[in-house]
Amino acid sequence: MTVKSENSGVDARTRPVPGGWVLVRLMGPALTIVAVLFGGGLTLGLLQSLGHLPAAGAGVLTVKHFVAILGDPDFLHSLLLTLYIAATSTVVAAGISVVMALILIGLAPRNRVVHFIFQIPLTVPHLVIAAAVAFMLSPTGLCSRVVLKLGLISSSADFPLLINDRWGIGIMLAYVWKEIPFITLMILAVLRHTGMELLEVGQTLKAGRWQRLRYIILPTIFPSLAAASLIVFAYTFGAFEVPFLLGQTYPMMLPVWAYKNYSDVDLLARPEGIATGMLIALVVAIAIVLAQGLSQAARRRGIVL
Amino acid sequence: MRVHRFNRRRWFWYLTILVMLFTFGRGGMVRAEEPSWPEILKRARGQTVDWFMWGGFPSTNAFVNGYVVPRVRELYDVKLRQVPVKDIAEVVSKILVEKQAGKKAGGEVDLMWINGENFRTCKRHGLLFGPFADLLPNQKLVDWSRPSVYNDFGEPVDGLESPWGSAQVVMIYDSRRTPQPPKTMGELLAWIRSHPGRFAYPAPPDFTGSVFVRHVFYHVAGDTASWQGKFDEKRFAEAAHECYKVLRELIPYLWRQGETYPENPIRLAHLLADGEVDFAISYHPAEASKMIHDGLYPESVRTFVFQEGTISNTHFVAIPFNAADKEGAMAVADFLLSPEAQLKKADPQVWGDFPAIDTRRLDKTWQVEFANLPRGIATLSDEELQTHQLPEPPSEILIRLERGWDQHVLKGR
Amino acid sequence: MIGLARKIVAGGVVAAVILPFIPLIMWSFSNRWFYPDLWPRPWGTRAWEYVLGIAGSQITAALGRSLWVAAVTAVMAVVVGTPAGRALGLYDFKGKDLVSVLLTLPVIVPPLCVAMGLHLWFIKLGLAETFGGVVLVHLTFCLPYTVFVMWGVFSNYNLDFEDQARSLGASTLQVMYRVMLPLTFSGIVVAGLFAFLLSWSQYLSTLIIGGGKITTLPILLFALMGSGDRPVAASVSIVFVVPAFLALLLSARHLGRRSITGVR
Repeated sequence: MTVKSENSGVDARTRPVPGGWVLVRLMGPALTIVAVLFGGGLTLGLLQSLGHLPAAGAGVLTVKHFVAILGDPDFLHSLLLTLYIAATSTVVAAGISVVMALILIGLAPRNRVVHFIFQIPLTVPHLVIAAAVAFMLSPTGLCSRVVLKLGLISSSADFPLLINDRWGIGIMLAYVWKEIPFITLMILAVLRHTGMELLEVGQTLKAGRWQRLRYIILPTIFPSLAAASLIVFAYTFGAFEVPFLLGQTYPMMLPVWAYKNYSDVDLLARPEGIATGMLIALVVAIAIVLAQGLSQAARRRGIVL
Repeated sequence: MRVHRFNRRRWFWYLTILVMLFTFGRGGMVRAEEPSWPEILKRARGQTVDWFMWGGFPSTNAFVNGYVVPRVRELYDVKLRQVPVKDIAEVVSKILVEKQAGKKAGGEVDLMWINGENFRTCKRHGLLFGPFADLLPNQKLVDWSRPSVYNDFGEPVDGLESPWGSAQVVMIYDSRRTPQPPKTMGELLAWIRSHPGRFAYPAPPDFTGSVFVRHVFYHVAGDTASWQGKFDEKRFAEAAHECYKVLRELIPYLWRQGETYPENPIRLAHLLADGEVDFAISYHPAEASKMIHDGLYPESVRTFVFQEGTISNTHFVAIPFNAADKEGAMAVADFLLSPEAQLKKADPQVWGDFPAIDTRRLDKTWQVEFANLPRGIATLSDEELQTHQLPEPPSEILIRLERGWDQHVLKGR
Repeated sequence: MIGLARKIVAGGVVAAVILPFIPLIMWSFSNRWFYPDLWPRPWGTRAWEYVLGIAGSQITAALGRSLWVAAVTAVMAVVVGTPAGRALGLYDFKGKDLVSVLLTLPVIVPPLCVAMGLHLWFIKLGLAETFGGVVLVHLTFCLPYTVFVMWGVFSNYNLDFEDQARSLGASTLQVMYRVMLPLTFSGIVVAGLFAFLLSWSQYLSTLIIGGGKITTLPILLFALMGSGDRPVAASVSIVFVVPAFLALLLSARHLGRRSITGVR
């Protein structure tokens, strides 16, 4: 799965490839940094989660930390909760984003202010939106005060639990609010480049509204929609701040669990924390492979241009 | 700046050699070569001390940044920087990792605000510099014969940390809503059952939630003094089992039926302020008054202690083994014990934390100053508090109770 | 009819974006605000006096550190990422898919996993708890983003302009500054903004590598957030939003021009 490979235009394919040295000079620094820091980080993390302690010299590698985690009944619980929250917020955000993109493409050129405001959530750190959601939706938050004044509830105890709740509603709201602009802007970029021309072609061919959506718009935006959704899914699966602030005491989402173990004063817990981190990376990797498989299958069936 | 660093490093090596000499060379007890106090202050000049501490309490932050920082600069030319953290245990674990990675010098943490299990972890893993407490001149003001001072949660302090305040658990309530609060833990438990949804406690391992569980433990196990001695696994297991049972049976009567717990005393305070629950628990007897003053609690909020008493302890500062600016840190630790700092800290308009020093050891003028401190509207008298104190159980019990709560109460196994 | 619908949609978007800030602003200007009052009684500036007064130096220091970390990360990401984006956008070569997978992974895999692994190594190298260490760990996932943005920019880039400039006798350096830079400037701003925002809002990786010592604004905010003082937590949150918002405002011209040329 490549995030933006669809951007490589026709030019790139016809242009003669320069010498290998030129490519190395252009890409070398970036690739080295990524390979050393990212590859190194993951490798060292894996080694530590396998019980290797650099300070104590070479130890015997063991899978006992992974066994301990996988054997813990809470792990499955946390994994399912994390999958549920990440998947739901991604699907909801993606659905709203498609609608938003279609509306904004007609709106944007006329109304740059709306366009600008729409980008604001991109700049708001997750920490702040989590705090804002808490102020808004806690049992004594602003919403609760408003419905109490309207006489819909008689005390804060009647207000449904929307943060630190079993269903992760507060977490998902924070993520959806934050990620809609991200996905929408990714879709808009594609629609503006190619979509509009295709739509005009469609119009001249007298295609109906639904036909245009089904046969022109969706296939056009699908690759970037999929890529953006995957990024969002991976992010929500592995992020710490929002579930830490808005999550339930138990069960915890995996990143919170990982960090809790990692920062535990009990040294034995630390490799388990890192091992949980590795499992998070693994799940995300599986998601990438699945997404790629799905999109190839879809392509074979001719859904995507 | 460069020269400066070089000097610091050289001093540090000098000091390390000294420490090694008297810890390894002489069986760990002889400290003949320790530097004199004026010598320490001389070395402290110009050092930058990074004090890592829990940053969740604005009054404490204001006391440190608004008062201690400028004062130690004036007095000792020490540049103090507060580094607020959300949990000091993370810092302890960080130093532990540094030790593992073999970082023996130049550590960024110069001073830590710790006590209890974090101190125990530090001590057991040899993460602390010292003993240094006896070197501080103001240590003479501390009554080291008190059990809650020489033992930190059952762990002998051994001069590895210096006290700077003391705390006692109080229950907070709104006298307008609850004119007759329960008087004992037993009455409180009965009250919770007859008022479903109106009580909550923070989830351990939060400090305050954990101390609430210890009060329940004392309530079911009885005879608090007997737990101070040697740890008896079998006797503990029986008492703890009973304690978890009581807490498990309490779950349906808790706020939101125990579906979630407030994560810290602060969230609990919000619940009380917003009228969601009827009690809050605080480790700081004067905190409620301060919060009334800041408009965070209504005027009608008051505090009480149980007839059988509430748990009290002392909080300390300690210096990590690899701290880069140990002398500066010692100067700060000493300043914190000075009468002026203790007085300022005890002022309810500033923080209202209880003195770590024995005010009877001060001269008359200081004693009068302490006696004349305004008392917050919701704060109990010193006498009321001091006659209702229970000791902290040893850390073994504390840690087991926290783990047990997680397994048997939270996860219901 | 359609005009009205559009107005409703526009209004809805604006409302949904602004809504979460309302309680933040109200709390930050409250002296007392108990349930179930709809607004603070009385309003006041106690929290702002604390934030800008006693805590002021701490917050300014954290603000400066955050800006500095994010700016250095963004500049490094752009400087290193632009050539890579150029190679990927302009040429088709063997192993391009592999390169793109390698660059995709850091975007996808959560920073938490990488930071945990790097921590011990960074301690050994003396990079833990240093400015450089934090920038490096941020760079790990900011860099791929800039590469992808520049990849997109260069795949629509017309090399003919460079060839013409060269045939008129311009040196490589002149071609870079006079031709490539102006043509891709909007893209570079967007790439830099991406990296800046990403680094700006990092919490956990900064905490793990910075060890609480590199107190960026998120670290300070998290520590103060546990504060019993909701007005203080709210006003610090607002302080946190403003710089990123300004960054967006300043680059809006570039973003805006891009989107308009894109449509037409």
